[in-house]
Amino acid sequence: MTAPVIEVEDVRVRLRGHTVLEDVSLAVYPDDFYAIIGPNGGGKTTLLRVILGLLQPSRGTVRILGGTGAAARRDLGYVPQFRTFDFEYPITVREMVLSGRLGHITRLPRRYGAEDHARTEEALETMGIAGLADRQIRDLSGGEQQRAIIARALVGDPKVLLLDEPTVYVDAPTAAQFYGILDRLRERMAIVLVTHDIGVIPEHVTRVACLNRRLYTHDTNEITPDMLEAAYHCPVDLIAHGVPHRVFSEHTEEE
Amino acid sequence: MLEILGFEFFRNALIAGVLASIACGIIGTYVVVRRMVSVSGGISHAAFGGIGLGYFFGIDPLLGATGFTVATALGMGALQLRARQQMDTIIGAVWAAGMAVGILFVYLTPGFAPDLFSYLFGNILLVPRGDILLMGVLVAIIVAVVALLYRELQAVTFDPDYATVMNLPVERLSLLLLVLIALTVVMLIRVVGIILVIALLTLPAAISRLYTTRIRSMMVLAVVLGIAFTLTGIGLSYLLDVPSGATIILVSTLAYAGALGAERLRQGD
Repeated sequence: MTAPVIEVEDVRVRLRGHTVLEDVSLAVYPDDFYAIIGPNGGGKTTLLRVILGLLQPSRGTVRILGGTGAAARRDLGYVPQFRTFDFEYPITVREMVLSGRLGHITRLPRRYGAEDHARTEEALETMGIAGLADRQIRDLSGGEQQRAIIARALVGDPKVLLLDEPTVYVDAPTAAQFYGILDRLRERMAIVLVTHDIGVIPEHVTRVACLNRRLYTHDTNEITPDMLEAAYHCPVDLIAHGVPHRVFSEHTEEE
Repeated sequence: MLEILGFEFFRNALIAGVLASIACGIIGTYVVVRRMVSVSGGISHAAFGGIGLGYFFGIDPLLGATGFTVATALGMGALQLRARQQMDTIIGAVWAAGMAVGILFVYLTPGFAPDLFSYLFGNILLVPRGDILLMGVLVAIIVAVVALLYRELQAVTFDPDYATVMNLPVERLSLLLLVLIALTVVMLIRVVGIILVIALLTLPAAISRLYTTRIRSMMVLAVVLGIAFTLTGIGLSYLLDVPSGATIILVSTLAYAGALGAERLRQGD
């Protein structure tokens, strides 16, 4: 088996006197499409922030491609929760995507080279927003903004793409299109998707885990009733949530 | 009124106005897009502490203000990054404490503080040659730093989390930006005074934002607007024989109101 791209070991996070994450261990492999589900406030965003190095855990380690240094993080692509930054900022789509290359430029002063520009055009093409490149991000629709954010993550050639609640603010057709794009990206990188909405788990996920302070894993792509119950602390009606049948375990019964 | 250009004090005023506008347009752009207006207000009022210290120790008050303001800006930044205190509370504390330090030291300084009033409300018609030189140096520093670190500053002011993931020195860049704000504030003290600094720092950039789509163009237009406002203000204050700082601010505010109104009408169509 190949080495994991992300290894989270025994991580605990305490914020303002509350334990947000406890005994969380997780390994993501290069060909994984990992979905982490859990209720709001269950620590999903916190776990992503720990992986990204934005938050120091009180205990435990995170290794990216075997390394713990900050430099290893440049192999991570991050699609933050929608609207966590200021969309009023005066920046064009092309500038925003180009800025995703900064992590790869180490010579000072940092200047964009031909490679950076070529990668940017490529990412804009991949996300189908080349025609919007010179528009301000605030003038785009929600779905277009979302694609611009993903393009910025792709331009840095990540080994893993981490997505935080990527479809919360987009309509159903846009979400479907979005998961189509993810399916194509899978060939190039591992994907970790975090969401509270178990109804949106796409069909091609390879593994699912439930997070509510602790991480409940199954190492399959099935959401089992006991995982959900452990994470949500209540029996969950799978059918009512619209979870497609293919992620059910055989013995799942409707409540 | 062209004969007035023959006087050195008036030429100095114009040069000071242009220099201040360049710093304002560039740094004010970051202040507006990063929403640091109140931070800048705190830094500028803290400058009064430096002026008080300058009087007390017998050094140029503006030099005292430079050191004190930069130190305050760094302290505020460090508190924000480390202590995770509520920033608006820190700003309020620094704002008042700086003024208090200034008042205390001006009081403790024997004798009369001659142009204290001009530090509070500015008097661009009294800017001495030495201050012009200081302003020139500060503008050169600001322009050089921003030209060199334009991409990094953009990344950090746009999305600091992503900049951190990309392993940029986010902390150092944020502190650097605060220092640049502090230096700009010091320059503006001569022009409009501590109390009015915040308006000249933000209004040209805020108007510019309405008509531009990128940081670079926003800066250029803000500089042009700043120069137009200060020169108009200086001219009007000379013609009407009223205080220059207040006139510059009122000209800027009227322009801002006009621009917002025009924008409203345009979007109403």
